[in-house]
Amino acid sequence: MVTAAASAPVRRALVALVALALLYGVVSEIGSRVLPRRIWMATHYIEDVELTPRYASLAEEAVFLVRAGILQASVLVSSGRVLAGVLLGAAVGLPLGLAMGRAAGLESLLGPWVAFFRFTPAFALLPLYVLWFGFGEGPRVGLIATAVAIVTLHGAFEGARRIPRVYLDAAASLGAGRVLVLRRLVLPAALPSLVSSVRIATALAWVTIVVAELIKPAMPSLGYLLALAGAYPRVPTIVVAIATTGVLVLASDVAVLVAYRWATRWMRRRVG
Amino acid sequence: MKSSGGRRAALGLLSVAALVGGYGLAAQVYGQPEILPTLGALLGAFHGLLTGQAAVAGAGLHAHHGLDHLSGLIKEGVTLQGALLASTARVLVGMVVGGLLGILTGLWMGWNRAAAEYLHPVYVLFRSVPPLALIAYVMLWLGHAEAHLLVPIVYAVFTTAVIPTYHGARDVADIYVKAARALGARGRLLFWRVLVPAVAPSVLSGLRYALLIAWMTTVGVEMLMANNGLGHLIVGGGLWSSRLQVAVDPAVVMVGIVGLATAGAAMDAAARVLGDRLMGWRKAARRW
Repeated sequence: MVTAAASAPVRRALVALVALALLYGVVSEIGSRVLPRRIWMATHYIEDVELTPRYASLAEEAVFLVRAGILQASVLVSSGRVLAGVLLGAAVGLPLGLAMGRAAGLESLLGPWVAFFRFTPAFALLPLYVLWFGFGEGPRVGLIATAVAIVTLHGAFEGARRIPRVYLDAAASLGAGRVLVLRRLVLPAALPSLVSSVRIATALAWVTIVVAELIKPAMPSLGYLLALAGAYPRVPTIVVAIATTGVLVLASDVAVLVAYRWATRWMRRRVG
Repeated sequence: MKSSGGRRAALGLLSVAALVGGYGLAAQVYGQPEILPTLGALLGAFHGLLTGQAAVAGAGLHAHHGLDHLSGLIKEGVTLQGALLASTARVLVGMVVGGLLGILTGLWMGWNRAAAEYLHPVYVLFRSVPPLALIAYVMLWLGHAEAHLLVPIVYAVFTTAVIPTYHGARDVADIYVKAARALGARGRLLFWRVLVPAVAPSVLSGLRYALLIAWMTTVGVEMLMANNGLGHLIVGGGLWSSRLQVAVDPAVVMVGIVGLATAGAAMDAAARVLGDRLMGWRKAARRW
């Protein structure tokens, strides 16, 4: 894997990550011996708190969570919500954004609303959604879908707007119908912007789901695991939950990135 | 281009008016004020939060329960302006501290290839952790202090500001730097007269996006753990332990959302104006 011929960036990346892991190891060993184990939590003391859990504790905790099935269930549920929300939001945002980018009238009509929702942090809508859609999956998936729709709409809008006029005029003068223009011109030209907005939206979806699950918790979910661990508090669980979330975010980001590179491979061939 | 500015503004106003009117009608027809507050209820909540007095005695929903959202907030002395001020202050602190750290880190990474290769993977790791997930852990270190609330905000702005700065410094500035070096520029001159202006556009657009993230994180933090601010207002005030027991009044939530959107839009507009002024020299080449 890591041969002598590995490029400098890869080598340095590995060095940095290994150094970080070792640093944490050292800090946690020292911290476990030196830091106070009695923490004041607003109204009472908590005993036996490991502020910097050692790798041994983390491993033990992770094994426990996996054995009990808690971690897998939480991962599945939270990822499922993110996926559903991203798909739903993109299905609404992308076409709408493209349409707005192409039709100036639509843009003027919807513009103020899009701007309004753009500046509304998604979390603020959560109480409303819970009120309107009841408890259960509706509000959470709806919240993610809203946030994703806003971001993808903006990306699609920008992508559609940036198509060079030359292409549009050429297609029109050659007699291309609207469907053909859409399929062969608008979509490919806007694709980089579309997919990069999906990438941002996916990261946003994860941030949103964590908070949505923290505010209205229900097991099994990663957010609830986090909240529960924070309430006790059991630090190794907190760290494991945070690490799991980080891994999932990274994995989904890589997935979208791979999709992006695959979708734009025909572009890079020309630039070479 | 084709349609004049006037026509577009008119269409925009028309759609806003239509939707507001349509909503008002729907709320009246639907007849369930605890789900869809009427325009009157919205105005009442707005007035109450602005002046600190309920317009009518027991104006809020579930008034007889004593856990009423609106009157609870008013009793605590929460006003829209106060909440707005508190939230804006948090956002600004986050932007200044996180933004500065992010820009410095991004510049360093863009300037120094080796540093970038070491730091980028670490950055990717940190970026993958949602800032609000840190709240529980940070609370153990900092207790319920203001710093505990600010850490996720600063963290969020920092992770958002690094990448645009890094890409700007790395991609855009390269050719200018080489040209300037070839002409004999060094050190401070090179930095202030070449690198900074070349990086500025990316940094500013990155900061505008970071502003959105800062607002989002601030509201999230306030909804979870704060005693003031717009997030706190929306969720119903009171201590965290009693928060889930307050029956949420959608009128108050909507007023809060309008306040948030206004504040966010205002700050974004201010950032854009500031950016335009700082980069007036690029007017010809710029396209927003």
